[in-house]
Amino acid sequence: MTYDVYMHFPVIAIMTLFVGAFLVTLVGKKETARNIIAGAAVLISLTLLALLVKPVFVDGQIIAYWMGNWEPVEGYAIGIAIEIDALSLFFGLLVAIAVALSCFYSFRYIKQDDARGSFFTLYLMLGGGVMGIVLSGDLFNIYVMLEVMTFAAVGLTAFRTWNPNAREAAFKYLVVGSIGSTSALLGTALVYAQCHTLNLAQISAILPGNMNPTMVLAFALLFAGFGCKSFMFPFHPIAADAHGAAPSSVSVLISGVFTKTGVYGIIRVSYFLFRTMGLTSMQTMLVFIGCVSMFVCVTMALNQHDFKRLLAFHSISQIGYILTSLGLCTALGIAGGLYHAINHTLFKGLLFLTAGSVLYATGTTYLEKLGGLARKMPKTTILFLVGAFSISGIPPFNGFYSKWMIYQASFEKAAETGSIGYGLVTVICVVTSVLTLASFVKVGHSVFFGQLRPELENAKDPPLGMRIPMWIMAALCLLTGLFPNIMLDYAIYPATNAVYDTVPYIDAAMGSGYAAEHLLSTTPFVAQLRTFIGAWNPISWLLLFIIVLAAIFFVSVSGKGGRGRALEPDAKHAVFFGGEEAEYSHISGGDLFWGFKHTMRHYLGFMSRVHTGVTNDYVLWGVTALAAIIAYCFAFML
Amino acid sequence: MMLANYIGAIALVVIGFYAMIAKHDIIKIVIGMGLTDYGLNLMIVSIGFNFGGTAPIYTFGELTSGMYFVDPVPQALTLTSIVIGACVTAMALALCVRIYNEYGTLDSREIRRLHG
Amino acid sequence: MDIMDIVMYAVYILIFPGALFTCLFGLWLAGIDRKVVARMQKRKGPPLSQPAWDFLKLCGKECIVPAGAARGVYLAAPYVGLASLIVTVLFIPLGGFRAFGGVADTVVILYLLTIPTLAMIFGGSASGSPFAGVGASRTMVSIMSYELPLILVILAVGKGATPEGYYFTFSFDQITLIQQVFGPNLFDWRLIPAAVAMLLVIPCEVGQHPFDVGEAETEICEGPLVEYSGKPLAVFKLSHAIKMFVMTALFCALFLGGITTGMLWLDVVLTLVFCSVVTLVCMSLLHAISARLRVEQLFKFFWTVVSGLALASLLLVWFC
Repeated sequence: MTYDVYMHFPVIAIMTLFVGAFLVTLVGKKETARNIIAGAAVLISLTLLALLVKPVFVDGQIIAYWMGNWEPVEGYAIGIAIEIDALSLFFGLLVAIAVALSCFYSFRYIKQDDARGSFFTLYLMLGGGVMGIVLSGDLFNIYVMLEVMTFAAVGLTAFRTWNPNAREAAFKYLVVGSIGSTSALLGTALVYAQCHTLNLAQISAILPGNMNPTMVLAFALLFAGFGCKSFMFPFHPIAADAHGAAPSSVSVLISGVFTKTGVYGIIRVSYFLFRTMGLTSMQTMLVFIGCVSMFVCVTMALNQHDFKRLLAFHSISQIGYILTSLGLCTALGIAGGLYHAINHTLFKGLLFLTAGSVLYATGTTYLEKLGGLARKMPKTTILFLVGAFSISGIPPFNGFYSKWMIYQASFEKAAETGSIGYGLVTVICVVTSVLTLASFVKVGHSVFFGQLRPELENAKDPPLGMRIPMWIMAALCLLTGLFPNIMLDYAIYPATNAVYDTVPYIDAAMGSGYAAEHLLSTTPFVAQLRTFIGAWNPISWLLLFIIVLAAIFFVSVSGKGGRGRALEPDAKHAVFFGGEEAEYSHISGGDLFWGFKHTMRHYLGFMSRVHTGVTNDYVLWGVTALAAIIAYCFAFML
Repeated sequence: MMLANYIGAIALVVIGFYAMIAKHDIIKIVIGMGLTDYGLNLMIVSIGFNFGGTAPIYTFGELTSGMYFVDPVPQALTLTSIVIGACVTAMALALCVRIYNEYGTLDSREIRRLHG
Repeated sequence: MDIMDIVMYAVYILIFPGALFTCLFGLWLAGIDRKVVARMQKRKGPPLSQPAWDFLKLCGKECIVPAGAARGVYLAAPYVGLASLIVTVLFIPLGGFRAFGGVADTVVILYLLTIPTLAMIFGGSASGSPFAGVGASRTMVSIMSYELPLILVILAVGKGATPEGYYFTFSFDQITLIQQVFGPNLFDWRLIPAAVAMLLVIPCEVGQHPFDVGEAETEICEGPLVEYSGKPLAVFKLSHAIKMFVMTALFCALFLGGITTGMLWLDVVLTLVFCSVVTLVCMSLLHAISARLRVEQLFKFFWTVVSGLALASLLLVWFC
């Protein structure tokens, strides 16, 4: 295919989602037609982006598309651009995959709801908004899409009429989210005031090196704005509320995709537009925010009693990993962060979908009301285990590989700067990882294992239509963990190069030579070492594991001994109760990890008390964070 | 002249944030969000304003280098932003109504089922 | 890859240092542990081969799956745990000999080591017994406890100085190489606190007295293993024995890696002897002289004292 054909793909990928949203409304109550339109829209969008993989990732082209063919005149971008480089395409693909899988899951999943007509309208608007952000080449367009996305997400959060918490969550989300929107808009306006353009390529050519106080303020505002959208600390409480209350298939989007737009925005702003990432102060800030988000949210997750709320806190914790990794400002760090971004979308999506299946089958996600579902929902249990192992970084699943990259990147950064702080970042990452494992052991034990609750006797696996998207996600979790080299070569490294090499992006939009003419320095400011200081080869491990397991199995089978299948269950098959007659007794999630909780009780209690649930407090946190970021930027970046 | 605009804009934003932080009535919180929005809109329009400039309606032939006019882009941005702000307010008020039906109160301190 | 390579790899995987040797040596370590503890308590103690006989006997017993258990996970857990342990052994250098280089580094080993414990947690959890539930929770707390000091130890070992400058590595090959040139890490005074911390981490990771909160027989009837019987139980016991070997071998690789005699087989034998000594020091000795810690004591001890030691080492390595 020639350039002329596929340059139209990105805009069509965005438009199909929006057009689909309107068509869904037009067909009204016809369920099948609605599903077909929604499915077609997400599939077309996914296919179009997948077709761009070859030209963008492999051939390294950058697609600049001017809406209405308003191309730049005399070095000034007057039209609205859609520009796709490897970074945009990376995030775009991630969005498209999550939107498509979650959409197919929703067909069955939302049958329990009453206002089904408006679901797919909002859903596709959300998908379109997110897609618009990551593919757009125009700062104000990003803001508008941000608002469209927030709006649809708030609507979907409040969507479940029978969920008593939904409106509250949506309201908090809207109010606290408005801080982010406000600061993003103000930042955009200030950038316009300085550069007289809104085109990303042109701004990134003109702006770096011209940092005056207005620009520092603009940077701080944009950073805080996108940070709010990625729910970084201290914006995290609203994320927990919103993820928990929204239908699971929407939580997949909010957690897996919505937060990524914040990450994408932070990359664009700090690596691209302002090129401030080269400053040590900026790296310190991002790493600090990342580590705090990571640790605070994982400990909050250990406090939770609701499956989905727990998952929500974990998504912010994982965003913390991504931010930390991006803040390291080395090639390996950026690659690790981007890898973790895609892995997070996959495993968190899978986990939210399993939470949705549990809700679908039992009507609750409250940990204390569940237990023993592995016997009734074996397939969901396996899917859950895949997701849980991935997120807690058990080899050979994907979460491990990206975490491992992040550890190395932070340790190498410590080597490069000689600062022990970065070594401690590695330690915090590992501790967070083990606490993540702990909270998934908690979920596993209190939802899927342990004794079956008598009232859950009729629970069963969700229908095939819901399972297939989950299987696809689980397979992707395993594959991205097993074939990291393919991922790195064909997606992560191109995207990483796109992050720190702005010149091709600028030249593609503004005409070649523009960057050389305007940029003070066209050399990338990122330490480009991409060497691994360790070794991990998942395929070899898996082969060895399979061989050994087969050997053990062979020896085990060749020996004597029953398979343990009782012909008639008798007393010896009952659970051991110290000689007493067995009774129903399940160790529920809240009772686990006593030693840990007891030792950390002051900290955990404090954290629990501070998350008051009062909107004003969260706004106060948000505004304080905004003020702190502005003050920090003024203190250290001028 | 412009300074007054900027001071006014910042004052509006600050009052808006104050209302969102300190007022426990959720309607007042929504009003605070609105105020922040208006402050921003004022700010953006002021950025594009040139004192004594004319309306930017020209054809290419009429343009000369000495002309100067009000920048139209911020006004376009403001229009969009006003529309978005109005939608956000509408959405927030709709949620307020539902919350009032469900909780029987508009006090944000009592609307905290999701906490901890 | 010709036929000789395949045979060689098969030998590595299945015989030495793979499945067969690992099992036997692990059981032997368990044997000397029991013997030494008995001697210290003025008992005669079982013969060294006792754990092996226990294992064989358990294999012949009936395997009962509780009626309330999640069958698949319950039965698969012990085998997955054992297999992952045996594979882990293949990556740890034994006195310069390493079956599969370039597959896994120190951090990966840290994660691979959680798999067997995790298998035990989920296996116990799947049995549906409340004792197992408590045991799983406690085992998880012990993982949380030792992971912090262990990563600090790994970083302290990974960061070191040569006359030419600093190095930062997670790779076993490089750690071994450095030790061959500059002498074992154990003789570097800055790393001694880390070595002590590692010695304390070993019994906790293995689940040995006094850190065996997860399997406390007297309180919660062996915790996760309470419902297990027959072959799966035998496999868990075997995993426990192999863990002793894995952890002591890891200690030797990190701290005693550089001792070379020039002959590979002698190095390997020497390392195995070191493994036995480390077992005696950190497991048998502690076992005989101390009583079991409570869960919160364990957690506090590891996050303050042991982590403090490891952190001290890291700071020393960094700034001295």
